[in-house]
Amino acid sequence: MNSFEFFAPTSVDEALDLIVSKGEDAKIVAGGTGLVNMMKQRLVNPEALISLGAVRGLDGLEISDGKVRIGALCNHQALVKSAEVGQMLPLLAETYSKVATVRIRNFATVGGGLVHGDPNQDPQVSLLALNADVSLRSKSGTRTLPLKDFMVDYYETAIRPDELLIDALVPVLPNNAGYAYLKFLPRTADDYATVSAAAVTVLEDGVLKDVRVAFGSAAPTARRCQETERMLTGQRPTPEALRAAAEKAKDLADPVSDGRGSAAYKKEMVGVFVRRALEKALERAGGAVNGR
Amino acid sequence: MSTTVIGTRAPRVEGVEKVTGAALYSADVLLPGMVWGKSLRSPYPYARIKRLNTSKARALPGVLAVITGSDIRNVLVGRRLRDQHILAADVVRFMGERVAAVAAEDKDVADAALELIEVEYEELEPLLDPLKAMDADAPLLHPDLRSYKGLPPTLPEHLRNVHAYSRIERGDLAAGFASADEIVEGTYSTAMVHQAYIEPHAAAVSVDAEGRVHVWAAQKQPFGLREMLAEALDLPLEMVVYEYSRVGGEFGGKGALMDVPLCYYLSKACGRPVRMVMTYTEEFLAANPRHPSYVQLKTGVKRDGTITAHEVKIIFDSGAYGAFKPVPGVDLGGARKAGGAYRVPASSIESFIVYTNHVPGGFMRAPGDPQVLFALESHVDEIAHKLGMDPLEFRRKNILRQGDANATGEVWADLRAREVLDAAIASSNYGQPKPRPHIGRGMAITNRHIGGGDSQALLRIDAGGRVTVVTGTPDAGQGSHTIQRQIVADVLTIPETQVDVVARGTDEAVYDGGIGGGKTTHVTGRAIMMAAEQAVAELRGWAAELRGWPEDGVVLEHGLFSSPGEAGEPVSLQLAAAEAVRRKCAPLEFHTTYSKGKVEQECFGAQVAEVEVDPETGQITVLQMTTAHDSGKLINPMAAEGQVEGGVVQGLGFALMEEMILEDGKVANPNFGEYKIPTIADIPPLREAWVEDAPGPLPYGGRNVSEHSLIITGGAIGNAVRDAVGVRITSTPVTAEKVFAALQAKRQASA
Ligand SMILES: Cc1cc2nc3c(=O)[nH]c(=O)nc-3n(C[C@H](O)[C@H](O)[C@H](O)COP(=O)(O)OP(=O)(O)OC[C@H]3O[C@@H](n4cnc5c(N)ncnc54)[C@H](O)[C@@H]3O)c2cc1C
Repeated sequence: MNSFEFFAPTSVDEALDLIVSKGEDAKIVAGGTGLVNMMKQRLVNPEALISLGAVRGLDGLEISDGKVRIGALCNHQALVKSAEVGQMLPLLAETYSKVATVRIRNFATVGGGLVHGDPNQDPQVSLLALNADVSLRSKSGTRTLPLKDFMVDYYETAIRPDELLIDALVPVLPNNAGYAYLKFLPRTADDYATVSAAAVTVLEDGVLKDVRVAFGSAAPTARRCQETERMLTGQRPTPEALRAAAEKAKDLADPVSDGRGSAAYKKEMVGVFVRRALEKALERAGGAVNGR
Repeated sequence: MSTTVIGTRAPRVEGVEKVTGAALYSADVLLPGMVWGKSLRSPYPYARIKRLNTSKARALPGVLAVITGSDIRNVLVGRRLRDQHILAADVVRFMGERVAAVAAEDKDVADAALELIEVEYEELEPLLDPLKAMDADAPLLHPDLRSYKGLPPTLPEHLRNVHAYSRIERGDLAAGFASADEIVEGTYSTAMVHQAYIEPHAAAVSVDAEGRVHVWAAQKQPFGLREMLAEALDLPLEMVVYEYSRVGGEFGGKGALMDVPLCYYLSKACGRPVRMVMTYTEEFLAANPRHPSYVQLKTGVKRDGTITAHEVKIIFDSGAYGAFKPVPGVDLGGARKAGGAYRVPASSIESFIVYTNHVPGGFMRAPGDPQVLFALESHVDEIAHKLGMDPLEFRRKNILRQGDANATGEVWADLRAREVLDAAIASSNYGQPKPRPHIGRGMAITNRHIGGGDSQALLRIDAGGRVTVVTGTPDAGQGSHTIQRQIVADVLTIPETQVDVVARGTDEAVYDGGIGGGKTTHVTGRAIMMAAEQAVAELRGWAAELRGWPEDGVVLEHGLFSSPGEAGEPVSLQLAAAEAVRRKCAPLEFHTTYSKGKVEQECFGAQVAEVEVDPETGQITVLQMTTAHDSGKLINPMAAEGQVEGGVVQGLGFALMEEMILEDGKVANPNFGEYKIPTIADIPPLREAWVEDAPGPLPYGGRNVSEHSLIITGGAIGNAVRDAVGVRITSTPVTAEKVFAALQAKRQASA
């Protein structure tokens, strides 16, 4: 690791000033779990680090207008432990609980995780299915983006160099919604997903009123499966319908081969796990898949 | 003898020190003026070094020395076969080979200096497939092979790129095959895996004013290290001192010199003590992992299951150097196990250890055995299936009975093979109804020698009666110091807390062959036991003298000498020791030697794996692992369970997930983010069964339990998967994807 200057601003404004004055040579650091590894491998060699650790007011969890506002500095484990999140967005608690180990979760922040932008991460998959937005602030103001537009490519997001991610906004699910996040870990419990899938389902009179599906680890970013959703919306969730819709998700898969599986295998598994996530969500929505 | 210490779950001597972080490892050594060493490693698997320029690195402030292969061109090192330069001389033969080294004031400067070293390489076509490396037209990776010290003299001339070869033949193979009703063939392979100890290799060297070389190193054989180093540096033995430090796990992988000679040369070049600590990436790129293997088997059987002939060809990928194998044959043990625990009347077993441009392979827990047993025990199940027999029935029919010779002609005393197999089956769910579909159960069995060797013990009792074992045996985590303490406490009839075990370096401790080969409890344990018995004999004499008792009638109980029927207060060990020290004017020291060559008995291990396979994804969930051993009397059941369960976990890694992925000569996953080992969340319930009626040479009559549990896990898992979903995976790791692909192929074939 190369040597660097270290700054610890205590407010968002101070942090924004530093980002501008230190420019391209500086990097923001939150939990450090993603960045420091990259620095150790010399993939990034910042001359200055601007730590958000001492910035106040960025780690809150706030619920208003049917949305949960999660501060960028909120750490993964805090979300897992939060009673409100467990009650209002159990899908998020379930998802964040599957990230790495408790040692990582205690440091990794929600904002750091989103800006990190590794397609193998877990949270993005469920946040996509939850229609989350992120808000970004620079000295010229705040903008809010849907997560799907925020994610751009491998380790690439729409954040600008002069911006800070301030929070994520997640609409609360209706009480009768079913949900599931499945992380496929064929090697060991401590790994990134070979593939993952999230589903949200709302049933009315046995018909799918709302279906949202996303998968991870099988494309440059987590992906929302619109065609799958379209095929199921307004339909009865028969095994055949679910299978056909899940198969469709495979068209969106564009994985790379690595130690967790070949590209071909991951693509097949997208079909399996999208379907299983839907099945589990439906089960939780009180409507086990017809015919089972 | 008291029975309160032996057979109890005595806690670890060094446990508190380790969990509190107080234990000192080689990387913790800090000496005045000490500097950091780092090595520059080859980015190519095979290349000629055309030009090497170190001037920029030397000019960097904080850099104290830079050395290259030309500085130590004439030194070749190796645990047996000396075929490796400390720094590559003209040619690099694997990606990660050391090319130059620097000593600098701190680690960052050392790293920066490495980047300033200019090397121009001429890339050569690497040999990455050991099978092709043996072809008649393959280029020779070591044209000077015949000149290397330590080359087995029996190596046939015609073999190419092979540095060790063995052939074991027995009986009339052709007749055996001719009389068979069925001939079953199979080919299997296993991946390169790392020992995955927590502590990476670390070393520190300091040369004192007299020129004595002090070495701290993660090392399993301190006395062996001293010898190897003295020989490599051409120094008299007494000029090298190994200074004791704890070992953070080794699993067979810490017996080589590794960075020690480099620390020495850097230290000589800059006049300061030098320390080198490998990063874990360096561990993966350039330590000494388990050899990948290719095993071909062909077996003739009668319809009733009788084996008539067995032919095996084993090819181990040795990587670029043979330097990490310590045995005279420079080979691996696997070949001797290739006939299994079965009666085989006619056999031919060939083993080739082949140079390639991969990371050189080294020793890892039961070297060669997990590879060969994965192949063999998978093959045995396939034979049973071909004959329509239950794999258990087939094994019971062929398993060695007292007096039988195995495939290599060995016959053992007090055989417990059948008992061990039965114990594993009885403790497992084998044969029980299955609660759900896609559950499978598979077994495997192996035999392994009970290690022999030489060990010396030094037991000291001071004027205050404090009992101290001064040991030169490292304890890499298996609990050898704890066992030593229990033995001494038992013989002296005192609580084990009254015995200290202190580990010391080669200047203070007496000779010990180090740990490994399933021998430590046996040879070191015996030496220590003898020392404790001598202590009792001597102290009994002093006690008798103090009280005027006839010595013959004196007994020792609970640390007190007494003479039933005689007058006089009992004499404590302390009192007798104080008297002895006072009268002799010297502390009491008992120095013993124990040696044992080949042991008459062989020990066996059998295992049953129970798995559930998800037919849609291929995912394997291990439900339970049951392991049986003919351990004989257990000195410390907790230590035995730890050893066996640790083995099962390591075996599960080998069976299910571990693989150093080799791409064009490069290790593609050189970190624990990508090279996966089991975590606690992956471990299924583990059961052990002990066959305690099994006489052996260990203190109190037992046998070793060191390695079997990981040797057979690959086979047991492969067989369980086969039982669950009907597909045979012929390579490790047995991954979900391989099972998925095999299931798809099977569906297509039947469609
Ligand atoms: C061993 C290990 C295992 C892991 N396993 C998993 C896993 O199973 N699943 C999973 O999903 N993830 C996993 N991760 C990834 C982990 O989730 C991320 O490293 C983590 O979320 C990053 O958060 P952080 O707070 O540590 O970010 P940092 O490392 O501090 O920063 C990451 C990036 O975000 C930028 N940044 C941080 N905060 C802000 C902000 N507020 N505004 C703008 N930019 C910002 C930084 O400049 C940097 O580029 C693992 C990581 C490790 C080290």
